[in-house]
Amino acid sequence: MDVYEVFVKKDGRDEFRHVGALEAATDELALVLAREGYVRRAEGDRLWVVRRDHVIVADDGFVAPNADKPHRHHDGAAVAARRRAAREAPE
Amino acid sequence: MRRWAAAVARSWVAMEDFEAFLDGGGLVEADDDMPDPYRQAVFAFIEMHANSELMGGLTERDWIPKTPGLRHKMAVLAKTQDEIGHGHLLYMVAADLGVKTRTEMLEDLFGGRSRFHNVFHYRAVTWGDQVAIAFLVDAAALISQQAVFKDCSYGPYKRILRRIIAEEGFHMRLGEDRMMRIAEGTARQRRMFQESLDRWFWPALQLFGPDSKPDDPLLRWHIKSERNEVLRDRWVQKFVPMLQGYGFSVPAPDLRWDDETRRWDLGPIDWAPLQRTLAQGGPDSARRIGEAADNWQRTAWVRAALSKGGARSDSSTVADNSRVSANGGASASGGNGGG
Repeated sequence: MDVYEVFVKKDGRDEFRHVGALEAATDELALVLAREGYVRRAEGDRLWVVRRDHVIVADDGFVAPNADKPHRHHDGAAVAARRRAAREAPE
Repeated sequence: MRRWAAAVARSWVAMEDFEAFLDGGGLVEADDDMPDPYRQAVFAFIEMHANSELMGGLTERDWIPKTPGLRHKMAVLAKTQDEIGHGHLLYMVAADLGVKTRTEMLEDLFGGRSRFHNVFHYRAVTWGDQVAIAFLVDAAALISQQAVFKDCSYGPYKRILRRIIAEEGFHMRLGEDRMMRIAEGTARQRRMFQESLDRWFWPALQLFGPDSKPDDPLLRWHIKSERNEVLRDRWVQKFVPMLQGYGFSVPAPDLRWDDETRRWDLGPIDWAPLQRTLAQGGPDSARRIGEAADNWQRTAWVRAALSKGGARSDSSTVADNSRVSANGGASASGGNGGG
């Protein structure tokens, strides 16, 4: 038996979401069990199952460097101030 | 880079650090290096929940043939599937904690070595009992689960609870619908239901357990968010007036309305029956556990068919069967019928 992670997508707009896991002997049975356990009342219209041992996991802290990159954002404050000043200036 | 659970994600040096993390609203994940006492406590809690869903589902199943009317029979079928499904989801979450495997948990349950909720240590003898259970017990379970969900620090359990709570909501509404029909029924039906209430009111109330201990670790670690007595009182304040509103009496001789606090007071609670069920010595414990164990034996062929180790289920056969089932909705094990 293999462990599978289950993903369900709600409708045309939403992203796939992880909903849980299950044990199954084959890929096909994993889909059947996922349907009966996780999609019982039209919780979504698309279903993925992924074998857990196929999931590649980033080590703890792997994404941390990107949490502190203010130069990748721009708050547009200076430009907004200039526009506001122009709007409010007398004709 | 690693595969799932091949290494630990986060770890904490001391219990104080871990508790500060929990107090700050932190969610623990399965691959975190959580302190062992926390791991054991979360595991025991989820295992008991999983066992209770399974034992409840097996009871529910017994009533499928006796349920009056096709509409309600279909609803009971769906509810039974939900409960067994909850068992599956929870055993998966529990197994990922690495304390026991799913098989070990099931063997302990059927061997009478692990716990399940007190209410499943009693026998339902009439349809009225089944309605009382669906109404009172499902509501009590729902109140408890909502309180766990609200502030649960173990992420995988919290996420699975969201789904379980949604489905338990259907069950509680179904229970009240059935009670309403009995309340609007004949004098004989009403008498039957009053007798069921007399049998099930106290076991349902005791599902919440005795008052929480002052320093309950389940509360400190944000596994539970509210004390047992608070949840129990919430149930009492809701269900005493509701049962009376349907014209039934609450089987509590000391019941009184406190004008000052504006609350119902049940009086003293005898916890001896609960203690007996916790020691597997309830009125129906032995039969229930025996039936569940027999069921486990009888369904071995289904598990064999669903696993690669099955006599007739080399991988190609299983794959073929499941492909049929994915299209036609029939059980994947149907081809091995009779075993």
